[in-house]
Amino acid sequence: MSFGLSEINNRVKGWPGWVLLLVVTVSVLAVGSTRTSGPQSQEERIELISKRVACPVCNGESVAESRNNASRAIRNEIDSLVRSTPLSDDQIVAGLEDSYGTEILLVPRASGFDALIWVLPTMAFVFGVAGLAVAFQRWRVQADGVADPTDADRDIVAAARQVDLP
Amino acid sequence: MIAASVNGAFGRAGVMLMLGASVFGALAVLYGIRKGDTKLLKQSPRYAWLAFGGILLSCVMMQRALITRDFSLAYVQQVGSADTPALYNFAAMWSALEGSILLWALILAGFTAAVAWRFRKNTEDPLVGWALIVMFVITAFFAMISLGPADPFANGAVGVSSGPGPNPLLQNHILVLFHPPILYLGFVGFTVPFAFAIAALTTGRLGEGWLLETRRWALFSWAFLTIGILLGGWWSYEVLGWGGVWAWDPVENASLLPWLTGTAYIHSVLVQERRGMLRVWNLSLLVATFALTILGTFLTRSGVIESVHAFGDGPVGAWFLAFFGLIVVVSLGLIAWRGDRLRSPGAIDSPLSREGAFLANNVLFTVFAFVVLLGTIFPLLVEALDGRRTVVGAPYFDRLTMPIGLVLLFLMGVAPVLPWRKASQELLRKRLFWPAWLGAASVVLAVLVGATGWAPLVAFGLAGFAAGAALRQLALATRRQGWRGFVGRANGGMVVHLGVIMIAVALASSNNFTHATRLQLEQGVEQDWQGHTFRLESVSENVNDAGSESALEARVLLDNSKVIVPAITTYLNIGIDVPTPGVRTGFTSDVYLTLEQGAQSGDTLVTIQAFVRPMILWLWIGGAVMALGTLLSAFPGSKRRRATDPVSAPIPVGATAAAAPRGESEPDPAGASA
Repeated sequence: MSFGLSEINNRVKGWPGWVLLLVVTVSVLAVGSTRTSGPQSQEERIELISKRVACPVCNGESVAESRNNASRAIRNEIDSLVRSTPLSDDQIVAGLEDSYGTEILLVPRASGFDALIWVLPTMAFVFGVAGLAVAFQRWRVQADGVADPTDADRDIVAAARQVDLP
Repeated sequence: MIAASVNGAFGRAGVMLMLGASVFGALAVLYGIRKGDTKLLKQSPRYAWLAFGGILLSCVMMQRALITRDFSLAYVQQVGSADTPALYNFAAMWSALEGSILLWALILAGFTAAVAWRFRKNTEDPLVGWALIVMFVITAFFAMISLGPADPFANGAVGVSSGPGPNPLLQNHILVLFHPPILYLGFVGFTVPFAFAIAALTTGRLGEGWLLETRRWALFSWAFLTIGILLGGWWSYEVLGWGGVWAWDPVENASLLPWLTGTAYIHSVLVQERRGMLRVWNLSLLVATFALTILGTFLTRSGVIESVHAFGDGPVGAWFLAFFGLIVVVSLGLIAWRGDRLRSPGAIDSPLSREGAFLANNVLFTVFAFVVLLGTIFPLLVEALDGRRTVVGAPYFDRLTMPIGLVLLFLMGVAPVLPWRKASQELLRKRLFWPAWLGAASVVLAVLVGATGWAPLVAFGLAGFAAGAALRQLALATRRQGWRGFVGRANGGMVVHLGVIMIAVALASSNNFTHATRLQLEQGVEQDWQGHTFRLESVSENVNDAGSESALEARVLLDNSKVIVPAITTYLNIGIDVPTPGVRTGFTSDVYLTLEQGAQSGDTLVTIQAFVRPMILWLWIGGAVMALGTLLSAFPGSKRRRATDPVSAPIPVGATAAAAPRGESEPDPAGASA
């Protein structure tokens, strides 16, 4: 009985099982990520825009989170812009940037000096992955014994010879 | 310098005792090691007891000063008040800079004493000696901070007989009693593995002995840091009233940074224990973890970065920056000096192996830490180099850390089924099959309950996948070993993974599917929103017995079943308003209400900010599961090294490091299973 079960288990885990898995996952993901949960309400738009705008008097908090008067004023401004103008989210944020300056943006731009905040992490990731690739390459060469003996290897051999000699 | 009160006199005497005991302790141990004076070395624990006794005395005196409202001390003038309830008065000790350094010093001296006690029979071992020297030096540094730039026992202005009490945010939730001390236990705990790492570098005993000795210290410190961070999120959620748990605030980031490098360390250290590899890397991670706690303290205690937690600006900043520089220079210098002994002989055969997965994990955690560090200090860089003010907020961190988090979830699914050395495609196909189906089932379930958007759906799928891998491992281990299948490093680690997965799901849900609105509630009129009904019952104002706080409370009947009371508390002595949210917690979602400013007692119409946040409870449950898993993984697995075994064998001069892999001595309780 148990042999039968493990045999079935093994067969299920073959390529057809994996292909089925892939098909199911991809199609459900496609359905889930393309359908919309109805039109965005004005409240949701206000919330999303508020999260992109920095509180002008506290460092790093968005006006969605901050409870002070300056933030409340900007929230109210966003509120009225969303409710009474046809402006898009980006246009509203751009308008706020014009009146309050670039420090109102919670996400730094990708240009000028500020671009570094995007470039440096990307470079760190690329260097990390490249470093790993180089390390694995070196380990493979080492494991295959293809590499020339290093000084350390020669030291070991020399030390071993000295021990062997009386 | 004559103290104005007995509290000030004894308190400062205690700190001086700690400083003296630490300095003399370090010198005595150094001398003992140099001269081989075992008698002197055997006395070294006494210096640790003395230092601990000193700082304990200081803390008792500070508590006494707070309890007796001794307003002759500047610190009590700053955080003390006749009206503060006893519990918050107790916590007032760490509610400002000087007292928080005092708490740090107490925990540090406690750890030093614990190390001295744990290794009291090995005091003649130079490795233990050097570790104690490092601990003494760090203790002395904190004692100097407490005596100099952040003196909690400084005399206050004459004639002051009352104070404002702690920051209002620090006296309206019980978590203020637990979050800082537990977080500090985590920060300070990493001093112990750091001290042993420096000791190993100094003595040249770079085998795995020091790692094994500090494994549990690192693990418990990591657990405390994890719990501390989560409690901070909980506190933020319950107190700050913006409906979230994590704002990427600089102080939050400062606590996350050592957690990230610490998490990388507790994974990669397994490769060193097992294969004797990655020695420089592991040392660097430990140094980074410790140095980042000091850097974080500099960033948040010096006033260079503003944040809701930052304790003003003060001269301590320069001290911490100098200490940070010293740590980095000394550590890197030692690593460079010992470079020849740190080279490890082994090779990692294939990226598709347990050690390969750990390496990938390390790259990701390091990049994660880099992103957080860069985002935190970037405004400083821009201001220094470009002369502009700029802000880096949550959307930046979310955007960059989300993909890293997803890849980490994927690794959490793959890594546990990978054997050491090398895995075949065949083996992966078999072992990953059911975990992958659990992932697919999670996506299906998420879509069925209405989730949308590719990022959260991928997160749910990967979470299911990772949970499948962890459950598979636990199922195999318990089938073989019964209840013992839950203990030991590999199995306990899987329980930790399950906790992490719960937190990941909770974050993905609450970050993507939270609904927020402003409700205009009229007394007695029922209003519907997001499937819930809200009815305002009353708005009333209550002043506490002491007459120090006035709470404006709106009673809102939710779903005709439970009354939630969002409030605005006014601290009358200082005139500060603090909104307190009203929360109904549930397994699938929370309803979270805050009262908007401007309401008055007797109002029949109020504006309420309302949030429906899914899965928040699972953040705290996940945290508890992580703590449980850490405890389980600290238990011995199938084989335990006796505590009486020698700490570490010296490496003969001229020879390369021990070549034998450690695989035989440290069997993996559950790994490499079919």
